[in-house]
Amino acid sequence: MPGLPVDLDACIERLYKRELLAEPVIEAICAKTKELLMRESNVVHILSPVTVVGDIHGQFYDLLEIFRIGGFCPDTNYLFLGDYVDRGLFSVETISLLVCLKLRYPNRVHLIRGNHESRGVTQSYGFYTECARKYGSANVWHHFTDMFDFLTLSVVINNDIFCVHGGLSPSIHSIDQIKIIDRFREIPHEGPMADLVWSDPDADRDEFALSPRGAGYTFGAQVVKKFLEINDFSHILRAHQLCQEGFQVLYDDRLSTVWSAPNYCYRCGNLASVLEVDDLGARFFNVFDQAPENAENRIDQQPAEKVPVEYFL
Amino acid sequence: MMAITFYASHFGPTSTFAHPAIQATTRPAPVANHPHPQTVHTYRTNKMSSTSPPPSTSSSSMPPPPPAPAQLTAKEVQAVMPSAVDAGRTITVGGITVTTRKLPILNAAEIEAMTEKLGIAPPEMIFGNNVVSIKGVAKADGAPGEKDKTWKIEFNALDALDLVDKTGSDMLKVAYSAAWQKQRENMHEGIKEVVKPFDWTYSTHYRGTVTENARFEPTQQQIPLDKLRRQDPILFFDDVMLYEDELADNGMSILSVKVRVMPARLLLLARFYMRLDDVVFRIRDTRVFVEFAEGLVLREYQEREDSYENVKKKLMPYREDVPAIMRDANQMVEFLPLQGTVVEKMVL
Repeated sequence: MPGLPVDLDACIERLYKRELLAEPVIEAICAKTKELLMRESNVVHILSPVTVVGDIHGQFYDLLEIFRIGGFCPDTNYLFLGDYVDRGLFSVETISLLVCLKLRYPNRVHLIRGNHESRGVTQSYGFYTECARKYGSANVWHHFTDMFDFLTLSVVINNDIFCVHGGLSPSIHSIDQIKIIDRFREIPHEGPMADLVWSDPDADRDEFALSPRGAGYTFGAQVVKKFLEINDFSHILRAHQLCQEGFQVLYDDRLSTVWSAPNYCYRCGNLASVLEVDDLGARFFNVFDQAPENAENRIDQQPAEKVPVEYFL
Repeated sequence: MMAITFYASHFGPTSTFAHPAIQATTRPAPVANHPHPQTVHTYRTNKMSSTSPPPSTSSSSMPPPPPAPAQLTAKEVQAVMPSAVDAGRTITVGGITVTTRKLPILNAAEIEAMTEKLGIAPPEMIFGNNVVSIKGVAKADGAPGEKDKTWKIEFNALDALDLVDKTGSDMLKVAYSAAWQKQRENMHEGIKEVVKPFDWTYSTHYRGTVTENARFEPTQQQIPLDKLRRQDPILFFDDVMLYEDELADNGMSILSVKVRVMPARLLLLARFYMRLDDVVFRIRDTRVFVEFAEGLVLREYQEREDSYENVKKKLMPYREDVPAIMRDANQMVEFLPLQGTVVEKMVL
């Protein structure tokens, strides 16, 4: 990568071994990634074959497991659907590796923004705390979260499969309406950009409905059908929702949820999957369980027989 | 267009699923003219030692791909999936039996069944098969016709969630709700339908599920903290999650149950913790105390609550640690004022 004062291959090699990069290196890498992402549209068009990955949430060893199962970069093309950080123990290592891979293989790795790629959410759910603990200051968190503002919002595979982190928005009928969003900012609480990263499907409904919590939407079967018709797509691929089976297919195979964090939070006992789109556009779920290293490295959650005994009151 | 394939070798008749790891894979045969090298799809168990992964060597230790894989539907996969974590631990001390069970979160079919029973959507992480129970026997006192009576108090997610307000009358709204509603009114006036209103913070005043022949009555007695502060040997300890939700990234809601059994007594703590960012903090604790020799069973229920603003002020000195403290119910309990305590004693 021209103009980058670090050796990306060396960084990637270190990160595969779960070694942290120095703060100035992170700063340089984030700056360069911003330049690269700035040139991407809000709707990036790519071609299969590509392996699509859902939420990872800092479960670094499970990300390595995905590469072992699905192939390492650049032998396999990857599309990540967001939520790289928070909850898991290794958010810094996870996002560092993904950003380095994006810089090293910009056309073979694509990163979409999830609702956790934001300043607000990462302060509550672990990434901020992890950065402060591992680096002694919040600087690294600032570098990463500033870079998050540049991540794209959606990807279309083979002009046929629409990929987004959360789901659809009542403000968006055609993908042209996504292209005009000013995305280079913190994720707002309302509007189409918020909907794309937050909304969930509701299989019992046809239209949009308001969430009981007073903000946000769910979208139903007719919404999905209309969106696919208007844009001449056949499928919506999204992440954002935990599923015990690792994936869920709804609306007569018009929408898939891909979840890629097995044994989420090291205690949910769920499976995970990645979705492979082959060169003909056919979709295959590759289901997997948690990486063996999780048990050795998790510090907060222990196997049942080793739960730390506590004199709680 | 969609296919899920699991390797036949792993699902064959001799497979016992002793280990929860499964690898499903999907690409039945190498694709001709594949623009990048064929990726390795292989069945591995979690017990296999893993090497750190320089990409070039990552596949060298893998077994060769098995022959033609069998097609299985998601339902079939579910049916043969082993239960992970542990299927139950139990201890009997002083005539009291404590059982805990920790299983994976519910699958799609189980969630659907629970939604039907409850009438509301369960939390994001729903451990509907988890349970903590305490069972005992009250000996007959010798009166004619008197028989030994067994009693049981149990904690499970379904019963806890059944006590969540389903009418929407206790409903809290996220901090930015007013602004959000105003902004959207102009744009999407057609969307009026609200997903059935209910207390989406999953606040519950659950005190456990008690068998019919036991009931609790108010008492002046207190749980003897001095006895519980002693470092008596702990014969059995467990921490069991019942449910957890991130409130769509507006905070957290979590119900978990801890239990410790000592030679002469036991303590159970079912703690509900809820933080709604920029709105409120809430803790609801149920403690069950059993003194084996006396056959004494006490249950204490406490509510703690404060506004986000007040708590934030109290936490100011902790600076960088504040987000971590706000995630930890055990630390937060110190900062939330007690709203009320009820102590009850079990009678048979």
